Amino acid sequence: MHTNAASSEIFDNLRLELRRGCLVVAVLAELDMEHYGYALRKALDDHGLAIEENTLYPLLRRLESQGLLASQWREEEKRNKRFYRLSPLGEKVLPDLLEEWRQMNAALARILGERGLAGSPVLPSQRKEEE
Amino acid sequence: MPAHRTDLIERYLHAVKFWLPKAQQEDIIAELAEDLRSQVEDREAALGHELNEDELVAVLQKRGDPLEVASGYLPDQRLINPALLPVYKLVLKIVLLWVYVPLFAFIFLGPAFTSARPAAVLLVCCSEYWRAAFATVGMVTIVFALLDRYQLSHGRADDWNPRKLPRVPGAQDTGARWKHLAGSIFGIAAAACWVYLLWHRTEFSFPDGPRFVLAPVWGEIFWPITGLTLAGALIDLLSSLRPRWTRVRSYVRVGIDICGLGLAALLLKAGNLVDIAAGTLSVADRAKATTWIHVTSEWTLIILAVAVIGDGIQETRRLLRGKPAEPAAISTAA
Repeated sequence: MHTNAASSEIFDNLRLELRRGCLVVAVLAELDMEHYGYALRKALDDHGLAIEENTLYPLLRRLESQGLLASQWREEEKRNKRFYRLSPLGEKVLPDLLEEWRQMNAALARILGERGLAGSPVLPSQRKEEE
Repeated sequence: MPAHRTDLIERYLHAVKFWLPKAQQEDIIAELAEDLRSQVEDREAALGHELNEDELVAVLQKRGDPLEVASGYLPDQRLINPALLPVYKLVLKIVLLWVYVPLFAFIFLGPAFTSARPAAVLLVCCSEYWRAAFATVGMVTIVFALLDRYQLSHGRADDWNPRKLPRVPGAQDTGARWKHLAGSIFGIAAAACWVYLLWHRTEFSFPDGPRFVLAPVWGEIFWPITGLTLAGALIDLLSSLRPRWTRVRSYVRVGIDICGLGLAALLLKAGNLVDIAAGTLSVADRAKATTWIHVTSEWTLIILAVAVIGDGIQETRRLLRGKPAEPAAISTAA
């Protein structure tokens, strides 16, 4: 019981770390088109990347303070909304970031492929036990 | 819009706003309000009716505690630079453990052993210790927070030199550390006993027994002996914390030995160190006792002087041998 709770907590923390960098890439990539916060969250969700509001909005502000995003308040459907999109700096950084992502992804795919883990979350040792 | 919805959302937004940085409050709250409104509208469209109070509460609960929501917008804050945390802990450990504990033992041990209410003395000792400890922790924390705030630690990361790293301690070092630590504790206890026994004292008297009257020379050597004993305890403490500082230790030990030898000579020169004044003893017995004390104290002083000379010779030889051997790892690398 205790072990399960501990391993679940460890998994949650690792998942959080794994997601942190991915979310930045996803948000920057999605904001090559203008979005307001709620619409951006829905767009990410539609692509299978759910993100909590409490994560998204502080992230948007951090990226904006780093100069990667630009924002403006504008009225849409009779309501004031804050629209975000990539800034010139963001447009410059995003391709480099995506290239880094592709390299990491390819390296990880090679590592997993060599160990027979590419298509299955089960470790080879666990597979042998099952057989 | 139903009143319960406006009321709950406004109360929620107000609670979040309280924790936000003033400059960004309005902007963040406006965006958060818009997001909540959109979410509520989507939910109502999905359910096909206006949200009742319970459903709205569920939406807000899912959004999170106001403080938690606001904390996401706050900059990363810290009191002490994580890089300085090990130094911070070391400073507290040295002060609270290696300075305060011997100091409080020195101050309170004597009174605790002689008081009619030792428990009361120990209680005062504990309460004073905690008071001093809390004040010290506070002051040390403020100093480190200021160091972090004004970034005085900057530059250190680039300046470090692997050659200046301390040697990996071996089993021999651990043994020496314990030896020096024991010496330090013994020295402090000896100084405490010395002060307790001879502080403004000119004689030892016993009910219905003899009175031992101390010679004036004891008054003259009271502070020098106190100082030498404490100096010995402090250098032992330093040696236990910094076992590699052997040359500093040897220089100080030689100095202490020379001073100790001078004091022994002064006592030997003084002749009678104690006189006996007792009505109950016969003149012959008194003379015998005085002679015994005189001979015993002279021999004790001679033995002590020989021990001091031996220690002085040993420390001088250590100094003449030069620097301690370089660590094996560096020799091999060279």
